[in-house]
Amino acid sequence: MLLRRAAALLALVLTACARSSTGDSVLVVLDPSLDKDAYSTFWAGLTDKGYNLTFRTAKEAQPEIIQDEVAQFSHVVVFAPESKNLAQDLTPQALVSLLDKGTNLLLALSPSKQTTINTLASEFSLVLPPPGTPLISHFPARDAPATVVPVSPPAAHPVLSSGLPPVWFSGVPFAYTPNPLLIPILSAPAESFAADTSSDSGADAVFESADRAGEGLWAGSSLSLVAGFQATTGARVTFVGGVETFSDEFAQKELPQGKSSGNKQFAEDVAGWTFQETNALRIDKVEHHRVNETEPREMYTTNDNVVFTLHVSKFNPIKDTWEPYSGIKDMQLEFTMLDPHIRTSLPPIPGKAGEYSVAFRVPDRHGVFKFVVNHKRKGWTHLESTTVVPVVPPRHDEYPRFLSAAWPYYIGAMSTSAAFVLFVALWLSGDDREGRKKGLKTE
Amino acid sequence: MAPKSSAATKQHATPAPAAAPEASPAAAGNALQSLLNAYNQNTSPRLKLIDAFLVFLMISGVLQFLYCVLVTNFPFNAFLAGFGSCVGQFVLTASLRSQVNPANRNEFKDISPERAFADFALGSIVLHFFVYNFLG
Repeated sequence: MLLRRAAALLALVLTACARSSTGDSVLVVLDPSLDKDAYSTFWAGLTDKGYNLTFRTAKEAQPEIIQDEVAQFSHVVVFAPESKNLAQDLTPQALVSLLDKGTNLLLALSPSKQTTINTLASEFSLVLPPPGTPLISHFPARDAPATVVPVSPPAAHPVLSSGLPPVWFSGVPFAYTPNPLLIPILSAPAESFAADTSSDSGADAVFESADRAGEGLWAGSSLSLVAGFQATTGARVTFVGGVETFSDEFAQKELPQGKSSGNKQFAEDVAGWTFQETNALRIDKVEHHRVNETEPREMYTTNDNVVFTLHVSKFNPIKDTWEPYSGIKDMQLEFTMLDPHIRTSLPPIPGKAGEYSVAFRVPDRHGVFKFVVNHKRKGWTHLESTTVVPVVPPRHDEYPRFLSAAWPYYIGAMSTSAAFVLFVALWLSGDDREGRKKGLKTE
Repeated sequence: MAPKSSAATKQHATPAPAAAPEASPAAAGNALQSLLNAYNQNTSPRLKLIDAFLVFLMISGVLQFLYCVLVTNFPFNAFLAGFGSCVGQFVLTASLRSQVNPANRNEFKDISPERAFADFALGSIVLHFFVYNFLG
């Protein structure tokens, strides 16, 4: 008994060490030809953060990723650019079903072969050039091959840390369609292009490759090298054009200016975002009540003044806790019945961490309404919340009374009653008198 | 309303032929004068009391209706209650008038004036109960 309790406590401590908001088990699928030690910096970075890495080659079937319909790993890394076909549980369908189960994926595309991962990429709105057309740039002047390109990361990006030095990249670029779930992380340099390296000897090669691709020249900063995708389940998948971006060699390789490259930090940022360490939000609590009350009503009356409060937390990977987060400035609340009857901003409350609140007047319509929060921003967890409340007309005794405008009617009704009483009194007294007169007459 | 108007015409019809030959050359004002005189002379005080009540109810109803049309019909239930009390009371009172009018004795042989008044009083009380319920 004591032993079991101790084991449970240990398990609790172990899970508490996780640095991701969804779990700490990572399965790494490597090509047999890929040297695991050439990426030791990346693995060490993950292990230091608290992840449990399990390595497996691309053709191996064990350990299984999905067992009895349950995903066995929180995150899957596939660095297999040389394998055309992967194991049975790594087919594109299996990977998509992993996303459905909330598993995050970090996938490396192959520059030279048409692998299943490359096929999968087109399902995520990425358009890859023909196999064997890696990214080439002759600028800036450097003593590296033309296919090894230093790329400056964007200055401000929700996924990457700011002030990141240029990143060495070697691999395949891709175009992408404007899918709202897609987040381009690293764009190709403006002077780069995709071409066949074997014939890259002059300007003619560029024209040739432009002809060969059939879709014009694959060139310029509209191409992407690393792109993230956040599924509607919240799971994240990142496609990297070349696996060497994560290698020790590129992490230590000096930039043409002599500074050290940003590859190590870049790899950590990309893995951190993919594994839902960073930019992970959640809605803790939704509250609604009438102004000057604290308890929610089962139903609201038309024209009530209602306060809606939302509590949002952000995952802190350093402390491994969810912390109240007030950093969202563009949150909106909708009060809808089929259409939004009210759409208002939901600002953070100064001084109350993580609280977003707004007071508004319920419209003069009764029906089944919903409080809807639908906050979807690129690179951030989607925040969706729907709370159904019925809005009813006032009850018979809830209408306003003794209105000044209605006093003529009140006076009219009361004067009729008063006149009736007076009439009855006069009638009866007159009757008496007549009766007496009659009585006198008869006497 | 029908019994009232028939009662009124009967009431006024009897003295009219007597007064008409006297005022034949006179203007319309004269006819009105003679009508008033005939009414004053030939109407019992009880019917005059009823008529006064009817006039009051009519004026009150017209004023409320004008207020509703010209100023506001909000709250509408209060208007309906106030106006309805006037109309309902008017109908009940007019019925009473036709039943207690000695000129209609032949039509209401089996209803005594006391019975008619009791009907009127009960009906009015029920009416006022509904009016105050609806007034809001």
